[in-house]
This record gives sequence, structure tokens and C-alpha cells, in this order.
Amino acid sequence: MSAAVYAEPYKLPAGALALAVHAAFFALLYFGISWRAEPPQGMVVDIWDSLPEMKNIPAKVTPPEEAQPEPLKPVEPPKPVETQKLAKPAQPAEPHKADIELAEKKKQKAKLDEIKKQMEQKKIIEAEKMRAAQAEQERIRTVQAEQERARAEQAAKAAAAIASEIGKYKELIRSKIRHNIVRPPDVPDNARAEFDVTLLPGGTVLNAKLNRQSGNEAYDAAVERAILKSQPLPLPPDVALFNKFRELHLKFCPEENSCK
Amino acid sequence: MNVTQDLSFLHLLENASVLVQLVMGLLLLVSLMSWWYIFIKMFAVRMAVKQSEEFEETFWNNPDLVKLYQSSNVASGNAGSMARIFAAGFAEFIKLKKKHGMENSAVMEGTSRAMRATYQREMDNLESHLSFLATVGSVSPYVGLFGTVWGIMNAFRGLSNVGQATLAHVAPGIAEALVATAMGLFAAIPAVVAYNRYAHDVGRLSSRFESFMEEFSNVLQRQS
Repeated sequence: MSAAVYAEPYKLPAGALALAVHAAFFALLYFGISWRAEPPQGMVVDIWDSLPEMKNIPAKVTPPEEAQPEPLKPVEPPKPVETQKLAKPAQPAEPHKADIELAEKKKQKAKLDEIKKQMEQKKIIEAEKMRAAQAEQERIRTVQAEQERARAEQAAKAAAAIASEIGKYKELIRSKIRHNIVRPPDVPDNARAEFDVTLLPGGTVLNAKLNRQSGNEAYDAAVERAILKSQPLPLPPDVALFNKFRELHLKFCPEENSCK
Repeated sequence: MNVTQDLSFLHLLENASVLVQLVMGLLLLVSLMSWWYIFIKMFAVRMAVKQSEEFEETFWNNPDLVKLYQSSNVASGNAGSMARIFAAGFAEFIKLKKKHGMENSAVMEGTSRAMRATYQREMDNLESHLSFLATVGSVSPYVGLFGTVWGIMNAFRGLSNVGQATLAHVAPGIAEALVATAMGLFAAIPAVVAYNRYAHDVGRLSSRFESFMEEFSNVLQRQS
């Protein structure tokens, strides 16, 4: 029996299979187990004694000021003044005509005067009526303006509340993401990455797109990872406000205060 | 020891002490070899079983032993272990028969000696490397454990310099040390399973060869 008979014909395929088994094993070790040390969640505490500066409030407060419609007021006063002027020149006209000679004429004149007086009184009464009506109108108008102003103020207050809520949650989102950024070494302090983040209801990130590169790819990647890791992002409990959060434009800097 | 490091797998291997790295390298090598032998044996045993079955079938369906002996497969020794046993026995039987004046029992004794020799060789071939699998199966957990113990010793020694001991100080060291145990077990478990499986298979083949030898001796005795 020659040794060749016992030569094992399967050495190569067996070796390849053995290598494949080990490759599979190490791939499992490498990819199957997450070896990263994760910081315990829920240990991050944000203390808010005052709201951080709110960029959005001024923009929201301005419209209510426009909404106060007061140009109507100045129109009212001139009218009553005019009517008084018309009424006054009519009164001094009577004594001049009483001096004239003839008694008959006097009588007639007196009659005419009386008629004129009556006419005059009627005019005055009418003018007074007019004045009263106008005053009434004016009063109604001022009340309406008052009501309108109150309504506008209320709307402004509500808008301000909403704006502060939005600003608060935007700041919460930013701070949550910032806590998750693992800052890579050698990132300059003035690096600024801007992201367009699309959210789903519930705070899930649908899409985080790098809008402006910081110049440091490692930092861009770190911020993107942090955004994805921060899911679900904090959203206001009021579902109606979600539309303000659907598209967010967020800026991140290594130093907290260098970009807001 | 850097506490805040990431526990990536490659990091662990990199940061392990030299001895632990050696242990892990050894275990990797042993594991590779044992898997290599596992696959070689798998193919070899499977082929031996198949060839034995085929040869037994042709043997019992073929009354003409000379023709069977001369058929190309059997003569070249490529028809498997049982065919080789048959060929050795039959060649010896013919040689002894040609010598006149030999007693029948002496011829049969010589034939069965020749067959037994071939049988031993075949069994030796089939059983080769099985002892290696057995050794790997029993020893590599200990080797891995050794690496682990060493690694943990180092991890705790590093702890003595630190005033306030936290789990974070020892965790990387223990994790890297446990990789050694994992590799030891990874090498040992398949080796043990394969050893048991192949030892059983080879045992069955051996009893099959032995019963064939007895039956073949009977056939030859009838013919002589």
C-alpha cells in the first residue's frame, strides 16, 4: 500500500471551510455584539430656571401691534365743532332788525322774527340731536376699538405663549442632541455644523441632512450620530404645535455659546 | 488603563497583555487546525462509509472473486478500505495456494494475518487526527482559562493604583481576558463534538471491516 493511497484528497476544501467558519465566528463577534460603552440614559438633567433667549418672540409679537386699528379716532371730533359754528352766527342776527321804523312793519317783523326764532330753535334742537347721535356713535366706536385692542392683546399673548413653548422645546431638542455629541479630537472651537432635520410625530428623526459643513468631517459625523441617537426628540405635548417642528434647522458648535 | 475607551473587539485584542495575546494566538491556531481536521475527517469518514457499502454490494453480487480482484478499481487500491483489505487477503491466499504442500489451516491463517495487517493500517488511517481533536477538546478550555486568569490578574493589579475603585476600571481588562475563554471554548466545543461523532463512526466502520474479514475468510475456506 503506497502512501499516496492515504493522501487525504480534501485538504484544500477542508481548509477553506475551516477558514470560513472562523471568519463567520469573528464577524459575529465583531458585528453581533455592540461593544460600545453606552452612558446610562436618563442621567442627563437640564435645569431651566429661566427660558433661554427666545429668538421667535419678537417676530410673533409684532403682528398684534399692527392689528390695533386706531386711525378711525381722529375723524370724530371735527363734526360737532362745525355744527356749533353754524348755529352761533344765526343768534346775533335778531337785534339789528328790531330797530326799524314802522310799527306795522315792526309787528310784521316781530312775526317774522318769531317765525325765524322758531326756525332757529328748531335748528338748534336738530343740531343738538345730531350732536347727541354723533356722540353716541363715537362712544360705540371707541368701545369697539377698545374691544378690538383687547382681543388683539389676547391673541398676542397666546402667540407669545406658543412662541415661548416652541422656543423652549427647540432649546430642549438642541440640548438633548448636544449632550449626545461625542466631540472628536482636534475640532476647532469655531466649527459650526448646520443640519436640516425632518421629524415624524413622536420625535423620530426621519431625515437629518447636513446643510452647512463645519469643515471637520469627524465633527459633522459626530453631530449626525448624536441627532440619530437622541431619538425620540422632546416635543411639546400639544399636537397642534407639531407643524412647527416638522422641519428644524439646527446649528451646532463645539463651544456651547458660540452659535445660537 | 484608559477608562473611557471604547470596548471595540479589536481594541480588546490590541490592549491585551502579551501573554494573553499569545494565548489567544495559540487558541486561534489550534481552533483553525481542529476545524481543518474536522472537515477532513468529515469528508474521509463519509467517503469510507460510502465506499464500504458499494464494495460490499459488489462483493456479494459477484461470485467470481478472481474477476473482482482483477477489476481495475480494486487492483489500484482506489475502491476504499474494505476493497484494500479484500485485495490484501486474496493476494496472500493466491500466493499461499501456489505453494504446494501447504496445509489448509496454514493458508487461512496467513490470509487472515495479511488482512489483519491491512485492517490495522486502514484503521490507523481512519483514526488519525482524532486524538488531536480529543486533545483540543479537553485542553483548550484550560488554555483559555489560563489567559483569562492572567488577564484578570492584570486588571486587578491596575486597580490597586486607583484610590476609588469602580467597575469601569476593571471592566475592559476583564472583557479582554474573557475573550481568551471564549476562544478556548470556541475551539473546544466543536472538537469534542467532532471527536465523539467520528470515534463512533470509525468504531462502526471497524466492526464492519471485522465482520467482513470473518465472512471473507469463510468464503475462502469454502473454496480452498
